[in-house]
Amino acid sequence: MNTLIAFFQKLGPEMLQRTMEHVYLTFLALVIAIMIALPLGIYLTRCRRPKLVSAIMGAVGIIQTVPTLALIAFVVLIFALVGLPTIGTLPALVALTLYALLPILRNTYTSIRQVDPSVIEVARGMGMTSNQILFSVELPLSLPVIMAGIRISTVWTIGIATLCGLVGAGGLGDLILKGLRSYLMDYLLAGTVPAAVLALIFDSALSGLEKWLTPQGLKS
Amino acid sequence: MIQFDRVWKTYPGGAEAVCDLSMEVAEGETVVLLGTSGSGKTTTLKMVNRLIEPTRGRIVINGTDIMEQDLIQLRRGIGYAIQYIGLFPHMTISENISVVPNLLKWPRDRTAERVDELLTISGLDPEEFRERYPAQLSGGQRQRVGVARALASDPPFVLMDEPFGALDPITREQLQDEFIELESEIKKTILFVTHDVFEAVKMGDRIALLDAGRLQQLSTPAELVENPANEFVDSFLGQHRFQLSLLTKTIKTIMPELRPTSPESGSAKSEARLRARSSLIEALDLFKKTKQATLPVYEGKRFLGPIEKKQLLKVITEVLGETGETS
Repeated sequence: MNTLIAFFQKLGPEMLQRTMEHVYLTFLALVIAIMIALPLGIYLTRCRRPKLVSAIMGAVGIIQTVPTLALIAFVVLIFALVGLPTIGTLPALVALTLYALLPILRNTYTSIRQVDPSVIEVARGMGMTSNQILFSVELPLSLPVIMAGIRISTVWTIGIATLCGLVGAGGLGDLILKGLRSYLMDYLLAGTVPAAVLALIFDSALSGLEKWLTPQGLKS
Repeated sequence: MIQFDRVWKTYPGGAEAVCDLSMEVAEGETVVLLGTSGSGKTTTLKMVNRLIEPTRGRIVINGTDIMEQDLIQLRRGIGYAIQYIGLFPHMTISENISVVPNLLKWPRDRTAERVDELLTISGLDPEEFRERYPAQLSGGQRQRVGVARALASDPPFVLMDEPFGALDPITREQLQDEFIELESEIKKTILFVTHDVFEAVKMGDRIALLDAGRLQQLSTPAELVENPANEFVDSFLGQHRFQLSLLTKTIKTIMPELRPTSPESGSAKSEARLRARSSLIEALDLFKKTKQATLPVYEGKRFLGPIEKKQLLKVITEVLGETGETS
């Protein structure tokens, strides 16, 4: 018990600050990823060039296959080449956003594509405009799947964001790196446990939101 | 009125879905587009609300070429019901039926009133069904809602693409009967697609039989069965000729002679009466049910004369002979 109190006295404030940074970083990356992936996914469902669709989906899929560490390294290197800051939030944010894109983009695209074609046909036949069909038919029906994509992205990003300590973006990765460099178990734990707890909290909160957003008629 | 004037639909690569189609659907009339799959019947239907655009020719509704009308306004003025129903699963029954009235910006209370009215005439209790979701309904109930939704804004034109096609035979017959009943009151101009010749005979004032995108015959059901225009029509009716004759021939056509008689007190007392418009099958059923040897025939309230079961059976035997079928 005493060791626990001593642990929090020593690392508590830093843990709290790093956790806040971590949440901030994750949150920012997700908001940007949603702002890119959601409209892009919707656009792709309306795009009449299948080659462009598969090119974009493929490119976003490839980003996912690059090892996280390598992606961060690439972003830093490219930033260095074009003269942007290589240390701090910006490169970390770019790498995290790129990673968060895929689940949101893929779920948006596939869920809208999978709306029952007869429902869309009747909607058109009854004289709904393309926007009306999107906002009052396609999106409500796709919302649970899109939310699932956002949830997956969130959990991933919380984990990956620990690596951003490497580029001085702060976050819980900082504590983990400190523990690694100095062989300090308490620092390692102070970084790892909050990251895991964050992932669990966000996962359950978002899955609650997902259920809440599922239209009444689709719940069985 | 819907007019087709030399309408073609060809696809890139030369596939011809509809070739040189000219016909008219008169106001208040139900024309059934009948044909096998690939005959162009659904394409013809969908060209009317421009889900498919004609390649050549003109389709005129309300005196204006549909291509010159505003697409969205055109569609909002035409009811549309399809086989796969396409109810919005995330909306309640009431919300589903309200879609077009809402698009047309009807006042709320008018829409609500209309929803209840439509549910009632569709045989669904508004109190019970208004707030339900499509998933909570049976197939037959869903299709009733699908048809109600097509009629929601009381459009003068209705397009129906095999609306009863996905239902079991008993439910289908029930919905057909209900719709005929409903239709006799609301009098819409209807284009109705089916591949089922019995449904066509039952629902249509006239039948347009299509094959490979070409109109083979456009006539009343009775005419189609009695005088097939060509070999294709003849073979399309095929082995159903006998049954179809019994369905399309009315009692009136086989009455010995139509002498206007004053109501006969004797037979008027009999509760069972045949309507002049009844088909031979219906007449046969009634004879079976009442076990009478003679039944009075009425046209509306006018007594036309008695008909004997023997006479009916004789005509049926003749029809059987004409259609060349052996029993």
